[in-house]
Amino acid sequence: MTQKELHTQRLVKEANETFMSYQTRRHFIRESAMGLGSLALGALLGSSCGSKKAVPTANIFDAANPLASRPPQFAGKAKSVIYLHMAGAPSQLELFDYKPDLMKLDGQDCPQSLLEGKRFAFIRGVPKMLGPQAAFKQHGDSGAWISENLPHLSTVADEVCFLKACTTDQFNHAPAQLMMHTGSARLGRPSIGSWVTYGLGSDNQNLPGFVVLTSGGRFPDAGKSVWGSGFLPSVYQGVQCRSEGDPVLFVSDPKGMSRDLRKASIDAINEMNRIKYQEYKDPEINSRISQYEMAYRMQISVPEVMDISNEPDYIHEMYGTQPGKACFANNVLLARKLVEKGVRFVQLFDWGWDSHGTDANLAIDYGFINKCRQVDRASTALLLDLKQRGLLDETLVVWGGEFGRTPMMENREGKQNPFKGRDHHVEAFTIWMAGGGIKKGFSYGETDEIGYSAISGKVDPFDIQATILNQMGFDHEQFTYQFQGRFFRLTDVHGRVISEIVA
Amino acid sequence: MIVVLAGIITIFTFSTRRKTVDFSADVKPILNKKCISCHGGVKKQGGFSLLFHEEALAVTESGKPSIIPGDPDNSEMIRRLTLHDPEERMPYKADPLTDEEIDILRRWIKQGAEWGEHWAYVPVQAVPVPRSSSFFGLVNRQNAWTKNEIDYFIAEKHRELKLAHAAEADKKTLFRRLSLDLIGMPAKDEWLQQYLEDDTEKGYEALVDSLLASPHFGERWTSMWLDLARYADTKGYEADMSRNIWKYRDWLIKAFNSDKPYDKFLIEQLAGDLLPNPTDAQYIATAFHRNSMTNDEGGTDNEEFRTAAVMDRVNTTWEALMGTTFACVQCHSHPYDPFTFDEYYKFLAFFNNSRDEDTQADYPLLRQFKEPDSAKLQELNTWLEQNAGKNKAKEIYTFLKTWQPSINSLQCDDYINGAQVSSWFAGLRNNGSCRLPGIHLDNKKRLLYRYTTGFDGGAWTIRLDSLQGPVLKKTMLKKTKDWEIAELELDDMKGVHDLYFTYSNPALHNKENTGVLFEWFHFDEPFPGKGKSGYDSAYAAYWQILKAPAETTPIMMESNREQFRTTHTFERGNWLVKGDEVQPVTPQIMNPMPADAPDNRLGLARWLTDKKNPLTARTMVNRLWEQLFGNGITETLEDMGTQGIPPTHKELLDWLSWTFMHEDNWSVKKTLKRLVMSTTYRQASFANEDILEKDPYNRYLTRGPRVRLSAEQVRDQALVISGILSQKMYGPSVMPYQPKGIWLSPWNGADWQQSTGEDQYRRGVYIYWKRTAPYPSMMTFDATGREVCSSRRIRTNTPLQALVTLNDEAYLEAARHFALRMHKEAGKNISDQIKKGYELATYHTISADGLKVLENLYYSSLESYKKDKEAACEMMNNMTTQEAAPEAAALTLVASSILNMDELITKN
Repeated sequence: MTQKELHTQRLVKEANETFMSYQTRRHFIRESAMGLGSLALGALLGSSCGSKKAVPTANIFDAANPLASRPPQFAGKAKSVIYLHMAGAPSQLELFDYKPDLMKLDGQDCPQSLLEGKRFAFIRGVPKMLGPQAAFKQHGDSGAWISENLPHLSTVADEVCFLKACTTDQFNHAPAQLMMHTGSARLGRPSIGSWVTYGLGSDNQNLPGFVVLTSGGRFPDAGKSVWGSGFLPSVYQGVQCRSEGDPVLFVSDPKGMSRDLRKASIDAINEMNRIKYQEYKDPEINSRISQYEMAYRMQISVPEVMDISNEPDYIHEMYGTQPGKACFANNVLLARKLVEKGVRFVQLFDWGWDSHGTDANLAIDYGFINKCRQVDRASTALLLDLKQRGLLDETLVVWGGEFGRTPMMENREGKQNPFKGRDHHVEAFTIWMAGGGIKKGFSYGETDEIGYSAISGKVDPFDIQATILNQMGFDHEQFTYQFQGRFFRLTDVHGRVISEIVA
Repeated sequence: MIVVLAGIITIFTFSTRRKTVDFSADVKPILNKKCISCHGGVKKQGGFSLLFHEEALAVTESGKPSIIPGDPDNSEMIRRLTLHDPEERMPYKADPLTDEEIDILRRWIKQGAEWGEHWAYVPVQAVPVPRSSSFFGLVNRQNAWTKNEIDYFIAEKHRELKLAHAAEADKKTLFRRLSLDLIGMPAKDEWLQQYLEDDTEKGYEALVDSLLASPHFGERWTSMWLDLARYADTKGYEADMSRNIWKYRDWLIKAFNSDKPYDKFLIEQLAGDLLPNPTDAQYIATAFHRNSMTNDEGGTDNEEFRTAAVMDRVNTTWEALMGTTFACVQCHSHPYDPFTFDEYYKFLAFFNNSRDEDTQADYPLLRQFKEPDSAKLQELNTWLEQNAGKNKAKEIYTFLKTWQPSINSLQCDDYINGAQVSSWFAGLRNNGSCRLPGIHLDNKKRLLYRYTTGFDGGAWTIRLDSLQGPVLKKTMLKKTKDWEIAELELDDMKGVHDLYFTYSNPALHNKENTGVLFEWFHFDEPFPGKGKSGYDSAYAAYWQILKAPAETTPIMMESNREQFRTTHTFERGNWLVKGDEVQPVTPQIMNPMPADAPDNRLGLARWLTDKKNPLTARTMVNRLWEQLFGNGITETLEDMGTQGIPPTHKELLDWLSWTFMHEDNWSVKKTLKRLVMSTTYRQASFANEDILEKDPYNRYLTRGPRVRLSAEQVRDQALVISGILSQKMYGPSVMPYQPKGIWLSPWNGADWQQSTGEDQYRRGVYIYWKRTAPYPSMMTFDATGREVCSSRRIRTNTPLQALVTLNDEAYLEAARHFALRMHKEAGKNISDQIKKGYELATYHTISADGLKVLENLYYSSLESYKKDKEAACEMMNNMTTQEAAPEAAALTLVASSILNMDELITKN
């Protein structure tokens, strides 16, 4: 090779490297067989403002194989997350946050000091205080207070870690749900499941990496945006598995097509593509061939994993499933099956927790109790089932709503509601976590004597997100994606890992 | 030869080791990468910043400047870069700069530490075409390859990097490529025949011209623009209710089809309402910025979401039209690009006086009437012009067309026994009251108001300045059927007053009942022309049109002086913490405002489309290039600033931008024609190992583009090939087949009502777009949610895409029709049918191997379907007789497989 040839070769190489060094999404190390770990890690280590660490060089993403399994930034305790979101926001005061003093105030006018300068979704004028509408007892060695509404969960109190001083700054459902799952009250940011899938890819190439299951008859208020991928490539959005119709959109073969014919047709398509590859030598063709093969495998593996009828009777008994129906218990059992198969993030939304007291279903002393019955047994079964399979240590289970409920009885537009109910409340609510390297039988944070405000151990959605990412092996401050000229984080400029609850 | 080579090498070496250091090319990248995260923008460690020239040379906390132009040896900056003590050496706690980097900085300071502007902020200059710039004109063989100016730029880079171009693609490939690129779907078969018969350059050009003139051209380019305009058929946020704004989409189609010059195209979208005597179309164009989201949810603060919409307009204007990510600056000065924090809000001030206030009705709306109301309005206008003067006529005309200017009821406050209902209406109970503050009453003799009440006998009293103040007016409100507009005559009054409304109605027994809801108020002078001939019928016409049913579209309108808002900076981007007041001003780094431009949106639009604006033309040309070639000349369409990817062919980008403005007078069609007429565009897209090594992403155009089709193209192509595409253009958005259960929004009864007839088979651009639940198969193919402006779709390749084209009923239906078409057009022979199908889909003749593959598929499935005729009928959805079903089903499977081939999903 002449000197000139060497020189131009170097120039071309440099020019290509320059592109690689910028933030294009396509360049995630195609030759990922070697050095993947270190390179991917380097790419992940970025921060938005002036960190001393090296600035990230690329968004990790390979369009040809976007779900390839990738290691986290450090060894996380949890391999997967099951997030049980009670959409509508369950009342902490009837479940976990025991406030005997509130009972003494029952029926009295709410003191002005609690109302001044506050904004509520529906409370107007001066509402009455509402005492706890459930009896409480302490459970387990940890002595956790759990109400009679959750008799099953009470039996596993020592597995659970309660966060009793959760707060948020959004008092409407959609923005609060978006805040909880995307770190922003506005549409357009990636959900936590998308972030995790973007960071880790998927362990199971025959199933989506991030699965969403809904129950309660409705989607969460914020719609699909709570599992959207925002500015991350769309491949990282949550794939909704459905109880009715196709378990995953378009996964079923059309009527009149047997598996053999489907196989024959995919083989033919891939054969045609191979012929084309000989002509064009475009690597994208090979990648399409493998995507069609994966689609075929998904057609088998998705319905298989979504079919709970093969589970033994005692499992059905444990969860309280109702095969063939769209219900929370079925979804919880599915979540366990999905996690078992290597799915990274399973997000459940159960709608119907908005206990305003405007009708019987939304009454804190009626509909709410039914909702508790619908979830108590299955949530408990999930912990026991994961445990008996040795999966609880590596699966982080999160249970909670998007905000809490007021210690006052709601008086919509100043009138008394027909049933007992509580309004949206941002200053105190409880969520719980279990497994995945979180302390067992522990409670963190406290509210005041009537459960109105968090007084110690206060955490917000960013802290919760930072903690979930931490358990998955990500430093939330260093886990970024460059978009619109800056590095974005799930937690933006906020968030603290709640180290107090990490085992 | 040796001498020549040696010469070349010398020149090469000479030119790469430029004696003069170029700030933008050599210095700025080092500063951005290694220094600026601590010394610029938000952080100025040691009082030293490298963002602006004056800052870089200024005295730092140490008491002396860090850079002394001409004297690197005494410049603290160089000293600190070369120290050995890790506590002292810069960059702090990071790897030291390389010798080469330090050498560049040293030479830069030595040469005077001149500042330079980033290329994208320097106005576009005329660029010479490198026709024979190759070393002394020696290597001119390439000229046979170059067809137009573009090719010279590409060839120049090829020479420089020792790359080669590819041969021209075959005609059928070119036909498909051109069709998909220019009209977004396969073009008419007749055009293919004409093109194949004419092998001259004219034949190619004729095809290009036909495609550019096709009405489908506008549909295809509108698809692209809708992502930029974040167009959707719903309002977003939780409620995500329907929004009637499809006329904007139709405006775009017409604008692209008529090749509206791009400067006018932008001026009308940004400020059509401020043009003299705006037409309906110019008003509708302004819906561009009414595609921002509106929050209908109870308890939300309208001002918060109005502000969010205004900020979204600022960010969209910069990203979509000027390829700049401006959003960062809302919280702090840009750390890399020369925009300051307050410049964001100065720019925002241009947008802060539009009339929209996050109202549920999406006011202001353009009201378009059917006949005879429309004719009646013209008649009335003529009468007014003659009897009341042009200005008055225009004022009334505008009011009838828009109900503006009016004061939205959400301005009411101080409620007693009343409330703002649904975040927006002023609602009063029996003996309730509220205040409407700050009303200018000079010459206002009439109060028009839109309201509804379910009760007779309500008394509405308006008092001045307090609840006990003098009564301005009292009236009785009768039960209304629906919303109504009514009028009160007012006595002479001067000045600005707060109006206090009270409502009492003894018929209201339930004290919880809301007696009346108000929506808006309009204060006006008396209707003009009293006593003149025709007054009575004109006044009657006025009322008829005011209340007439109308097709409405949200539009931009400017507030009048009485409702003018002042603009403040928001501390750290928080709208609740207001800083200094600012005036509308464009950023300093950019071109100045044109001399006669007003400081409102219209002035802004003129500034943006001024030929001195460095970003507008470059952004659009880069975008057009990306649509055809797969990558932009600057890959980051959304960011041409210092954090974007530098252009591969900067001179070409500038040449195209210059030509776009100065020669082609902002014609998009002419620019596209230049692109597709080039040899560069016409290259075959074959790759090989060598070229994949040298130019893996085809940035240097060493071959033709080969990229996956867009979501819309995948759909449209299947409909064309199967022969079921509806040619219908325009109109409300359609709802083709969508699986059940996609829309399940709480508190929103909206339902996907599947369209019937040809509306099921309309092009993708017409599909109803719900922000919180967009059309699923399009999303799988990387369409965007349209919550905010999105400049670029990332192309992915996933199994879920395969499942769409394999199993979505929409694609199956296409496959069935495609199979029938194959059968119909090719006769009885199976091989002929498959050959025909392959040709219809790809224009090419199937290879012998390929034919064998598809024949095998056909016969094996035929065998299976013959055994199970029921399955065959199901597969055909009972489109054929049971007798014919096995053959049809087998052929349908072949058709579906053809539609799934990589060759179809990809543009070759």
